[in-house]
Amino acid sequence: MSNVFAEAAGLHRPAPLRVVVAGYGPVAARLVEELLPGVRSGALSVLLVGEEPVAAYNRVLVADLAVGRTTAEALEISDAAELRASGVRVRLGERITHVDRARRLVLLGDGTSEPYDRLVFATGASATIPNLSGLNPDPAAVAMLPDGVTALRDLADAARLLEAVSGGGRIVVLGGGILGLEAALAAADEGASVTVVHHGPRPLARSIDRGGGSVLAAALRRRGIRMVSNARSTGVDLGTGLAGRRFRALQLDDGRRLEADLLLLSCGVRPRTELAAGCGLPVGSGILVDHRLQADADGEVFAVGDCAEVRCREAGCPDCAGGAGPSGLIGPGWRQAEWLAARLLADAGQQPPAMERLPAERPAVILLKARGVDVSTAGAVDAEPWDEAEPWDNESGSLEEACPAHPTTPAVRQVAVWADPEHGKYVKMVTRRGVLEGLVAVGMPRTAAELVLLFESGRALPADRSSLLRMDGADAGVPATRLDDPGATVCRCSGVSAGRIREAVSDGCGSLEEVAEATRAATGCGGCRERVIAVIAAHQASHGADLEELLPSA
Amino acid sequence: MPTPTHCPYCALQCAMNLTADGPGVTVSGRQFPTNGGGLCRKGWTSAALLASGERITEPMLRGDDGRFSAVSWEEALERVVYAVRRTQARYGKDAVGVFGSGGLTNEKAYQLGKFARVALGSSMIDYNGRFCMSSAAAASNRAFGVDRGLPFPVTDLAQAHTVLLLGSNVADTMPPFVQHLQAAREAGGLIVVDPRTSATAALTADGAGIHVQPAPGTDLVLLLGLAHVVLHEGLADEAYLAARTRGLRGVTRSVNPWWPERVQSVTGVPAGTIRHVARRLAAGARAGTPGAPRGIYILTGRGVEQHVNGTDTATAAINLALLLGLPGSEHGGYGTLTGQGNGQGGREHGQKADQLPGYRKITDPAARAHLAAVWGVPESSIPGPGLPAVQMLEALGQPGGVRCLLVHGSNIAVSAPDAGAVLESLRRLDFLVVSDFFFSETAAEADLVLPVAQWAEEEGTMTNLEGRVLRRRRAVSPPPGARDELWVLAELAARLNAPSAFSSDPREVFEELRLASAGGAADYSGIDYALLEAGDAAYWPYPAGSIGTPRLFRDSFAHPDGKAVLVPVAASAAKPGQEITLVTGRLLEHYQSGAQTRRVPELAAAQPEARLEIHPVTAAALGVADGDLVEIANGRGRIYGRASHTTGIRQDTVFLPFHFPAGESANRLTAAATDPVSGMPEFKTSTVQLRRWEEARVS
Repeated sequence: MSNVFAEAAGLHRPAPLRVVVAGYGPVAARLVEELLPGVRSGALSVLLVGEEPVAAYNRVLVADLAVGRTTAEALEISDAAELRASGVRVRLGERITHVDRARRLVLLGDGTSEPYDRLVFATGASATIPNLSGLNPDPAAVAMLPDGVTALRDLADAARLLEAVSGGGRIVVLGGGILGLEAALAAADEGASVTVVHHGPRPLARSIDRGGGSVLAAALRRRGIRMVSNARSTGVDLGTGLAGRRFRALQLDDGRRLEADLLLLSCGVRPRTELAAGCGLPVGSGILVDHRLQADADGEVFAVGDCAEVRCREAGCPDCAGGAGPSGLIGPGWRQAEWLAARLLADAGQQPPAMERLPAERPAVILLKARGVDVSTAGAVDAEPWDEAEPWDNESGSLEEACPAHPTTPAVRQVAVWADPEHGKYVKMVTRRGVLEGLVAVGMPRTAAELVLLFESGRALPADRSSLLRMDGADAGVPATRLDDPGATVCRCSGVSAGRIREAVSDGCGSLEEVAEATRAATGCGGCRERVIAVIAAHQASHGADLEELLPSA
Repeated sequence: MPTPTHCPYCALQCAMNLTADGPGVTVSGRQFPTNGGGLCRKGWTSAALLASGERITEPMLRGDDGRFSAVSWEEALERVVYAVRRTQARYGKDAVGVFGSGGLTNEKAYQLGKFARVALGSSMIDYNGRFCMSSAAAASNRAFGVDRGLPFPVTDLAQAHTVLLLGSNVADTMPPFVQHLQAAREAGGLIVVDPRTSATAALTADGAGIHVQPAPGTDLVLLLGLAHVVLHEGLADEAYLAARTRGLRGVTRSVNPWWPERVQSVTGVPAGTIRHVARRLAAGARAGTPGAPRGIYILTGRGVEQHVNGTDTATAAINLALLLGLPGSEHGGYGTLTGQGNGQGGREHGQKADQLPGYRKITDPAARAHLAAVWGVPESSIPGPGLPAVQMLEALGQPGGVRCLLVHGSNIAVSAPDAGAVLESLRRLDFLVVSDFFFSETAAEADLVLPVAQWAEEEGTMTNLEGRVLRRRRAVSPPPGARDELWVLAELAARLNAPSAFSSDPREVFEELRLASAGGAADYSGIDYALLEAGDAAYWPYPAGSIGTPRLFRDSFAHPDGKAVLVPVAASAAKPGQEITLVTGRLLEHYQSGAQTRRVPELAAAQPEARLEIHPVTAAALGVADGDLVEIANGRGRIYGRASHTTGIRQDTVFLPFHFPAGESANRLTAAATDPVSGMPEFKTSTVQLRRWEEARVS
């Protein structure tokens, strides 16, 4: 990319815009990759500082690594050497200890400092340590958990889980969220004995409704996972071994003790905001940024990914009304990285400066990454078909917002459900004006995939909702040719119908060869030979020929 | 005595016998490895056009009143020469352009490229193959260093355990090909990727395989997901990758973000299906594993290639094949199914804007020197690269663009994207010359139409989808007044005082082609007519002194280091829109723009008009009954089609064949947006609005 905008403005090449990126996870890696054209052209200088000793890897797949289904090499998502070859300065195993915004400097763990024009926080999140007796609740203590207790966030955690799984060990997963269930299923599939301990009556409680949760729980139990529901854990028993203190059991408030070789903590994540808070930036559950990902008023400091909370200060901003924190999903982070890269390239004169603000994210779609257990959920899922009408349905606004195509249809929330717990199938579609506001699908993979596309696109569902359910039916797909229909095409290559073949037989053709000669049936790909023979036989049979004569002689 | 030749239509080039039979010609199938003696309906009826009453049998000149009237060949040729001279004197050499075809024989394709560069001195030549093969060609060249559609004989598919067929509807487009899928079907391993339950997708029924039905335009993501599973589940052929490829690390990184559930959320294909397909492919790809099923083939067609990311999609298919260790192995491979009759040869002999004969780059000094020597012209007189088809057509009649155009074997008024705009472009030209045997929709726009010979009236060679060179033979004489295009080009070259000889004899032209291609990627120097007539299975590269190359890449790939290149490609995770997507494609009964098949009574009776395939649920929401006339429109155009309900199409997608003209012309709706690497237009996904014709008429 040439520096056309700078040239057009009659400028000589300015000093490069200095960008420092704090963190080297998947979101930071995407950001820097998108910035490479600017680095190569000399418009940007980028310093990337990562705490882990390795380049960014795909954290989404750490559970697969932890059960031995994939390798650390396959998880690689960025190559520090390639970035360096392109001119990016990459510091691995290094931390930014302090940010001096007044002087626009970052201080590094080795005592040196680096100036910046733009600073991007991509510090990610760390696992939440639950408040259990026996565990240090200090967030910083996540790196110093006792033996036999681990989160599942990084390569070291994966190695700990792998040790337990490969020994066929007993694992207690604390937490019934998406990541906990994925780890539990993967570990159980690979031979571990797994117990999931969670609050509330069903797993995935924050994302799934009662019906879907029940079908899901049954599916998990069928996979050999012991589900401990409505559980409050109070502490961990630590035994003393040769190597020091080691996990022995999880204690519940009803007095039960769940003994295991490994306790996997899957209690959510905390955005890592310490560095940003330490330099006076506003922090909520994450580093607060506006719709241009700015953390400061001057447009010099930004945050993206798991550490960032998009919540602007404008009163009544519809996109910020929900007040949700960071989603913890990778998709929004990658979109933020792409948007911010375009903005930084614009700041460096590399792209047209006019930038629309970052589009608001649709509510997240949750797809359970597991083999043989299909769960998809999105949006608001708690409504039930026989709920009372929403109280505000009859108030001003909603009735006027009728569907333009069907002006008499008020914008009432509607719910359709298909439940077949015996066979592990459940679908719920929550719609308004036919457009999905929420969905749950368990055990219906094709329907689920289609519903997710419909949810993402905002397209109205077909009035016949059951047409979606049939996608998972054994009868989905191609109907068989009905040879008793005279109009049915028997030979596609030559366009010969069953009726035409019967005519040929009536005219005296008795064999495949004779029918082919007369009609050109079976003279293309030959795939219809058996069907042609069947039509000949059926026609002859129905016209008095002795069936015995048509059969090959013994 | 019947004349053994091949079908006029698609790249399968089914073998047929033609018997002159009084006034007519009788067609019969002929045993040959590609078609096994079979023909489809198009082939059976192909002779109907030879004696068609619609043949043009005299040069037709448009008068000042806009009407055509017959003129002598002498006058016609002088008119062309005058228009060329006048245009070039006023606007420069490049103001005269040539548009060729993948339907022309090798001899004509070669001669047309030479004519543009040597007789006209113009860089402006491209052809309709830009609309079909350019993306797969670019991807193959990038990965393998050479582009031969199938780098193995099609009969190798008889050992297939699994065939992954992406975006190709062979059951309609080249029906006799289906017999080569039989082995995979019997093994339950025919995997067809198509948003539609096409006739080919239907071949997966009853346990013969899997139909994977992604949302339109998401093939690239699906392929990245399959590669992801192969890499993450340890299914890749590591020894092969280490020995025969480079670029693995970059591709590993590029597919990393596409785990199956994320792929599902973009494509609508369940994660479990993605894993299953990847494992099925890998199970057969394990070379040397005792007891492992053998024969894994990955084949792509226009459905995945005719997109603005077509080159990247074909690249992703090639990457998947390389990860599985297939190309160049004994247990499988990658190929693209060439569409047009000589779509393979047509892209080798110099009618592409950036190429010289032998599949050489026009910017390569050694290639230019070689051709300069063969042609007997100074190297500096050979023009550089011209514009690819879509850009050339857009600039017709515009300042700096082509103002006088010669069209051979192509009906761009129907077949080019944004055909409405193409018609306007054609009407801006100062002079349009079309060589054809019918008043095609493009010929109807011409200032001068030159009547030429049909396939059964000419001699030459064709190169089929396998890269096998075949003899096309003359069974009957052309009608008096129709001439061979080689003769036309020779006459024009002489009148333009071209500095090189232009023979009108196909055998002589082929001899020159041999010299011109010698040493190039597509080397024909060891092939001659006698060899072909003796029945030699001549697969290029066939350097003089060799026995040809039925299977490429056995020892090495065509890059200097002998390795295949894994090229990382990225896909966008764009969210689906609410629009209805129009997918275009072919019917069994028609070929390309339909200029020929619409004139065959039997075919026209079977498929007389554009039928719009639409899901009954979508149709119900629009109040469209089966058989209703529907208006299909977008910002580029407005056409009509008859609704045909089918549950074999996604509810967000409709399908139209592109064989029909004017108010039924699907390409009035397609965009002229092109792939940045290949120049291939986006034919497959256009957003459209639909309504019943009655409603359209009222408003």
